[in-house]
Amino acid sequence: MSQSDQFSGRMGLIFAAIGAAIGTGNIWRFPRMVGANEGGTFLIPWLIFLFAWSIPLVIAEFALGKRSRTGTIGTFRIFAGKNFAWMGLWTAWISTAIGFYYAVVAGWCLKYFQLGISNGLVGEDVDTQLVWNEFLQSSGNVVFFQFLVIAITLLAIWKGAKAIEKVNVILMISLFVLLFMSLGLSLWMDMADGTLDGFLFMFTVKWSSLSDPAIWINGLSQSAWSCSAGMGMAITYSVYMRKDEDTTLNAFTMGLANNSISIIAGLTVLSAIFAVSENPLDTVTNGSSAITFLALPEVFAQAPGGSVGAWVMMTGFFLALSFAALTSMISTVELCVRNFVDHGYEREKSVLLTSIAILIFGLPSALLWITIAPDGTAFPQFLEVQDHIWGYGLMFSGLFIAFTIWKYGYQKWRAHVEAGEAAPGLRGYLGVGVSAFRDDFINTGDNDIWIGRWWDILMYLAFPFLFTVLIVSYFGDMIMNTENVWDPTNPNGITIILLFWGVVAGGFIAFNRKLVQRPLFRNVPEGAEVDISMLPGGSDQLVVEVGEYPEGWEHLADKQAQ
Amino acid sequence: MLIESRKTSLAILLLPFLLSVFSPMVSASYTADANEEESENEKSPSETWDLNNEVSYLECEDEVDSDGVVTEVCEYVFPWGGNEILQFKEYHTYETMKTRMMVLAQENPDIFQFHEGFNGGMNARGQETSTDSYEGWYYGHSSPWLKITGDVEDGEYNEFNGDTGNYPDRPDVMIVGNHHAREWMSYQTPILVMETIAFYYGKEPTDNDGDGLTDEDPWGDADGDGQVDDDGDCLALAPKYQDSNGDGKPCNPGDFGVDEDFSEVELTNMINNREIYLIPMLNTDGNIYDREVYMPGQCPGEEAWDCSAAGWRKNLRDNTVTGVTPIPDLDESVDEGCDGVDLNRNYQFEWGAPLGATGPLIPGACYAGQNNDVYNGPVDNTDNDGDCVGAPTPECVNEDHVDGKDDDGDGLVDEDWWGGNSEPETKFIQDMTEMNDDNGDGASEFKATLTYHSYSELVLYPWGHCTNCQSPDHDQLVYHGDQMATMTDYVNMQSSDLYPTSGDFCDWHYGVHGSYCYTMEIGTAFHQRPEDVDHIAVRNNGVAFYMIKIADNPRERADLEMANIVRNQIIIEPVIPDSGDIPVEMCLDDAFAIDLDVMKSHVMYRMVKPSRQQSDYGPKEWFTEPWSMTGFSVVKEGGECQLLNDSGTGYKVVANVPIGDDQTGNLHVKSMISTLGGTQKIEYPSNSQYYELKIDYRAPFGNVFGSMMLFMTVVVFVWGGLGVCLRMMMVDDEIKEGILDAEFVEDSS
Repeated sequence: MSQSDQFSGRMGLIFAAIGAAIGTGNIWRFPRMVGANEGGTFLIPWLIFLFAWSIPLVIAEFALGKRSRTGTIGTFRIFAGKNFAWMGLWTAWISTAIGFYYAVVAGWCLKYFQLGISNGLVGEDVDTQLVWNEFLQSSGNVVFFQFLVIAITLLAIWKGAKAIEKVNVILMISLFVLLFMSLGLSLWMDMADGTLDGFLFMFTVKWSSLSDPAIWINGLSQSAWSCSAGMGMAITYSVYMRKDEDTTLNAFTMGLANNSISIIAGLTVLSAIFAVSENPLDTVTNGSSAITFLALPEVFAQAPGGSVGAWVMMTGFFLALSFAALTSMISTVELCVRNFVDHGYEREKSVLLTSIAILIFGLPSALLWITIAPDGTAFPQFLEVQDHIWGYGLMFSGLFIAFTIWKYGYQKWRAHVEAGEAAPGLRGYLGVGVSAFRDDFINTGDNDIWIGRWWDILMYLAFPFLFTVLIVSYFGDMIMNTENVWDPTNPNGITIILLFWGVVAGGFIAFNRKLVQRPLFRNVPEGAEVDISMLPGGSDQLVVEVGEYPEGWEHLADKQAQ
Repeated sequence: MLIESRKTSLAILLLPFLLSVFSPMVSASYTADANEEESENEKSPSETWDLNNEVSYLECEDEVDSDGVVTEVCEYVFPWGGNEILQFKEYHTYETMKTRMMVLAQENPDIFQFHEGFNGGMNARGQETSTDSYEGWYYGHSSPWLKITGDVEDGEYNEFNGDTGNYPDRPDVMIVGNHHAREWMSYQTPILVMETIAFYYGKEPTDNDGDGLTDEDPWGDADGDGQVDDDGDCLALAPKYQDSNGDGKPCNPGDFGVDEDFSEVELTNMINNREIYLIPMLNTDGNIYDREVYMPGQCPGEEAWDCSAAGWRKNLRDNTVTGVTPIPDLDESVDEGCDGVDLNRNYQFEWGAPLGATGPLIPGACYAGQNNDVYNGPVDNTDNDGDCVGAPTPECVNEDHVDGKDDDGDGLVDEDWWGGNSEPETKFIQDMTEMNDDNGDGASEFKATLTYHSYSELVLYPWGHCTNCQSPDHDQLVYHGDQMATMTDYVNMQSSDLYPTSGDFCDWHYGVHGSYCYTMEIGTAFHQRPEDVDHIAVRNNGVAFYMIKIADNPRERADLEMANIVRNQIIIEPVIPDSGDIPVEMCLDDAFAIDLDVMKSHVMYRMVKPSRQQSDYGPKEWFTEPWSMTGFSVVKEGGECQLLNDSGTGYKVVANVPIGDDQTGNLHVKSMISTLGGTQKIEYPSNSQYYELKIDYRAPFGNVFGSMMLFMTVVVFVWGGLGVCLRMMMVDDEIKEGILDAEFVEDSS
């Protein structure tokens, strides 16, 4: 089984997973959400939903991936059955579609790092809005940095798990160091006027605002997005787990590390802005890119220590931001590549193909509809529309994961009832069905943390409730606040979202039959073979381990030997 | 060689492409040079309006004349779409109008209610009427009308009239078209009013003309510069485009770009605070007869507007009917030389004087002379007050003529009239007026009434029945008339100065009910050509809304405005305190008795806050709260303040707008103040605009103790949790390594 690919150790997996979870969302979205949602008040729902939404979902993802040993498509094919492989395709597509424009965004971060190094953002005559507008409108520049991001990503994942691991460890450790350094500087700035008002704002709860549902919904969405829960990242990386990896501890570590970084980044950004800005709340409630690329350079330029301090702050912060973006980009590409490799394509080819696709399909986001907002700031409208369309598709990836769990529980209970081992009614279902997934795939004996009944409650009750709340509030807000919301040509409307979702989902469902006719190669490390025959896709003759070839597909072996 | 030639051919192939790329630039730069001198005033309508090409205001086509001069010819496009009739390119008929009224009422059930005639019952003069009482003599239709007000399905039910939506606190206004059958623009114009309300009611501020600005050119001369084209977009056109209605006056009412972007908010407020009775076609009988019988009879095969005949004017009363059985009526069909009553000479006030009218005749008699067209209807020889019972004397009939005085000294006023209101149409108006008493004070609700006639381009106010006379409200009537004359570029004059008339609509409304009543003599012909329908209707559209606005207390409004009181009062620019409510102060004239009832006078405010649904990569998004209101109180100490325009001192009122210290964003404020005299909701700033104040965060950012507590909690949960996890991992790895080592040892042994 020398062909199976795995991380060298536990830390490798953890760093890769953290790298996937920590992205720009922690660094520029989190401080904005804190600013727009009454400061410390926001932290309460945000913390609660870490445990009520993100970590349970990541646990499920790790458990799924560890057993299926395939990417998202294979996981759904094995766990939900042949007819549901398209759900994995959806999950992969959403992540990749986000990747199309995320590469552009990561490029912006790199560009600002470059500007930081070259002192392009410091000085009396620097108008950060002008710098930003000029950059966004110079297509060559934007595409160059987008290309750079994709090239770095490609190099990082070319060789598989071991390389991904190394890159992630280096980038993540650097990120921690850089962020702590920036935090120190910005706390110093904030202290300079005698009060730590950024700190105070970020950690003071306004109890009266706790009853505002908007704050809870925003806390939930921040938790759901920033942790990448339900996105399929954890499924992908758990393919490379060693045999006796502890899925639950990994999930907790990933979630907590993600939120730790958010706190540090949030404090850094807020302290710096509160130290310098006349009207800090007005500044932090702008769009993310406006905060990061317009406000922060202005703020950092006033860092203590004169030009050296400004230089350190600027480069340090934007390098950290670039690293966060890059590690997320790596996981995005890997998610897509993994699915190709699972279906018998060569890794190098898959990496190349995915990278080229991400470059080409990202070009419209980089180049099209660069619009000037009423306040004079340029923004990429095509990119925004892409985000508008695919951002909430993520919710359905999470729903599919939950669906798989529900389905498994139901089937196991039915099987037990038929075998006479379980009671037929609700009582039997609660006894055998609801806890089935947890019993069979989470609490496997490798865990330090035993997952109790609470996980079932969250998966079966809290998840569908919260899912509904998120979807209803998102679409409800859109219907209430958008003009011509049903007009299909309105890029900010609902119809365009439903149209894209419908076409993609419809296409995938139609393609499902073709998809499951291909063999699926599971990446099972030595000694980690476990029985999957009780799973819906377990009896599929086409599902084999890497190195084996099902009947009729032996030619793939020859091809790979070449 | 081969390569060489290929290069050449490629260049030749590419040449057209290159040329096509460069030629627009080159030609553009040339034309730019040529136009530079007069570019100031060279805009065409399509370059000025409807920039997004939504065809919601204008539709333009280039017309080339024989000299090759290209002129852009545009026509109005009304945003509600529809066929030529709905676009005011063709006339409505009675039928299409009625259908349209019903459709609009069905589509807008919250503001429109459709009716025909009344239920009837005992009217204000003690007469029993029924639905039949209001049907035209000949074709038998009652006049269709709309009740228009906010929440029209609620409010009081009026059993006689059959309408709901009667609110004691909403002033009523009556708008009547087509007294005279042949005056076709006089019903087209109120139909445009109805369409305007239906389309724009409840809309957010809208860019009606597609020029990228909203509500920048309201009806009339809003900015007081003497120019009705407030935004100057018509004046910015090339001169050849400025007089689009072809009346010889550039950029005056009815031309493109004049008063074209009124405030939807103001319109909506008006509909919500007034009851409007819209009767576009009073004289259905006459109008149908004019269109279908009279004009085709005068000019067979020709359109009415091509025919030199003036047209049918009156209703279709059969003047030769004897009313005495068994003598048969020998002339059942319309006798054009004899039949009909001039409805606008048939109202009871000072009825019957042969001033611009043919005097009354006994029923069954026909005066077929030259003044037959202004016949004012038969004498009413009944004893209306019933005082002849017992000892009939000649003095007990017609002894108290309708003139507002107690002629017979019996303590009753106008109780035994000589005649008038004999027609179903005028009865209809009379009963609508007299049976509409929402607050039960015995007086009619209508304080403002408007009627359209054509033609002459005039604004007429009472009196009509007397020459060299002035009404008690002369100055005020002149004032409002002047406003509407500015709005339309018509001439304002007293009705009798044109020619004296007795028994007309406005004399009766003003004389009997004290209602400010105006007659708009619109247009330049009875049967205007169809291509003139839209611009004449547009030109007169604002007048109806002006009347709707002043219907609360026209007299006081005129007084306040004539003394410049409205203009001199201001909202004092608020100073935002370090914490607490934001005081919005107004400086009011001592002559302005403010009604402090919060429903009557208040500051409207709303916050525009940064949106919590901000997208990651998009521009800054805002969330706009709905409007709230807060009342005024009079400032007791230091309440003296300076009015505008050096008009002395006034008194201060203040409204405290409750904005939390932790709010940030923009605060919109506007004030609406009413007088104790009944003038309602004068807006500051005018034209439904509002002031915008930037609100910074004023609260402390947090407290040290609380923030330390939460910080510690977060540290324990997140960083502590992370620490525990990492620790467990380390321990795990050590154990595993231990096991691996042990295995290794075993192997090697």
